[in-house]
Amino acid sequence: MNMATPEIDAEPARGRLAALLAYRPQRSALLPSIGIAAGLLIAAAGVFHRAPPDRGTVPAGYAALVNQKGILTSDLIAQSVAELGKPFADVTSAERARVLHEMIDEELLVQRALVLDLPETTTEVREAMTGGVNAQVAAPLLAEQPTDEQLRAYYDAHRAKYTADGSMNVRDLVLHIGGYENADQSMAQARIDATEAVYQLRSGAAADYVMEHFGFSDSGRMKFGNEPDFAAKLHLGPTLYPAATRLTEGQVSDPVADTDGLHVLIMQQRRMPTIADFAAARSAVYADYREDVAKAAQRENVKILRGQAQIILAPGESE
Amino acid sequence: MASLRLNWKLIAGALVLLGAAAFAADRARDHQAWERRLLIALPDQVVADPQLVRFAIAEARPLYARHCAACHGADMRGNPALGAPSLSDSAWLYGSGTVYDIERTLLYGVRSGRSRSHNITDMPAFGLTGRLSDGDIRSVVQYVLQLSGDNYDPTAANEGRRVFYGAANCSDCHGMDARGDSGYGAPDLTRNVWNSGSSAQDLFRAIYFGEHRVMPGWRGVLPLEQIRALAVYVYWASHPTPAQAANTYAQSMITPGGAAQKQ
Repeated sequence: MNMATPEIDAEPARGRLAALLAYRPQRSALLPSIGIAAGLLIAAAGVFHRAPPDRGTVPAGYAALVNQKGILTSDLIAQSVAELGKPFADVTSAERARVLHEMIDEELLVQRALVLDLPETTTEVREAMTGGVNAQVAAPLLAEQPTDEQLRAYYDAHRAKYTADGSMNVRDLVLHIGGYENADQSMAQARIDATEAVYQLRSGAAADYVMEHFGFSDSGRMKFGNEPDFAAKLHLGPTLYPAATRLTEGQVSDPVADTDGLHVLIMQQRRMPTIADFAAARSAVYADYREDVAKAAQRENVKILRGQAQIILAPGESE
Repeated sequence: MASLRLNWKLIAGALVLLGAAAFAADRARDHQAWERRLLIALPDQVVADPQLVRFAIAEARPLYARHCAACHGADMRGNPALGAPSLSDSAWLYGSGTVYDIERTLLYGVRSGRSRSHNITDMPAFGLTGRLSDGDIRSVVQYVLQLSGDNYDPTAANEGRRVFYGAANCSDCHGMDARGDSGYGAPDLTRNVWNSGSSAQDLFRAIYFGEHRVMPGWRGVLPLEQIRALAVYVYWASHPTPAQAANTYAQSMITPGGAAQKQ
């Protein structure tokens, strides 16, 4: 059977194509341009786009990635050499692996510490962090050594810091009020008695006699005898110590009221604190000067940080 | 027809641009590949690859000018006024001058406040703190001049020797042979290489006021590949000949130790 190809009327189709390709300025300029621009953008994006980092690949220069945190190869070398005490070239693979294992463990613990928010909750961590920042801030300024003049001026401005501690041997008598031995004694009576005791002591009466006669006892605060000032301050307490420092050898204090009764202090031995001269204090002055330089840098740093921070205080709070 | 020609021109132009961009991107990728190569090698292996060394030097030059030259000088010869050491000689305070040693110093610095920086000790301010009298210091200076082979006063040097090993205890850090200790960063006093000047007056000042030089650590400031490139650059500047390089590595095998810095 002769299957004749059906005659297609091509004329209308040709006409439509011709019409489509017909010169139409608005359409022909716009569409190709959009196409080119889009093509270029896609191509450029493809060319410049960096492949996303492979989460399974360790970046060059690192020995390991622990939760995306790198352990530097250089640090691994330093740690291996420090731990094993031999050149890195002599470190075996097993040794290197062991050191790396330890470093990964440490990194995990550090990361865990951050998850546990140790900086927020643990004093030692906070201290280490603040200390670390302070050390970095101060480091450049500490490179500059002071001159003799600067040191001298610092000493002059802070003379009181450079005292050699004195010492004292104080007899501390106490008259307990309302206690067992003085059950019926009123405060007013105690004051009268203590004043009289002081008068007698200053007139040369023996301490033991006065103690017995007026009912005083040894407070026991200065049981070690002659003590450096800092120790005496600790033992006598904030009320009696200032009274003691005003006494010279042989002097008797006025009655001083403290929590346990009325005290009378007899200064038996006293070496006054002395101010060290510049030559003797140089080393301490130098250390203090540098410490102050560091503190000034740290204060300045905090000032800057405060300037950049948003600090909001709750109602009623102030700083 | 005019419009079609215009379109073809546009397309051709775009293709040229795209080609240029692709070329630039390819260069960038190539550059990244070199950086990776530089980092993936162990520090001391880099110097065995001349191509890598060339790449590192080209990378490091502008970095050095921007970050290091202010203290160490554009010519890498240091600055005595700042106590910044020359990077072009073979005297090293910390370590023995391997790429690894230099890189450690670049990473963490010297007395930078980072606990990994070199900060075991520093040169005490013997005069300022009153530990030595001016006369003692002058004597020690003469002894140090003698040690370094410079002109010296024999009588004063003899007295200085007594102070050096006695009251000042200089040998504690500088060693009984005065050849220094790269673990502490104590310089070799016999080499006549000085970071803060070589005159008797300079030496007096160094002993009187002490030395507490600092260098920042660059980790976290510069990318690792730039730090490595700088380390190679400094190594190259101080080891112009293969023989010198070989000598450094021979010494580093004997003295493993820590990291390194020239001061």
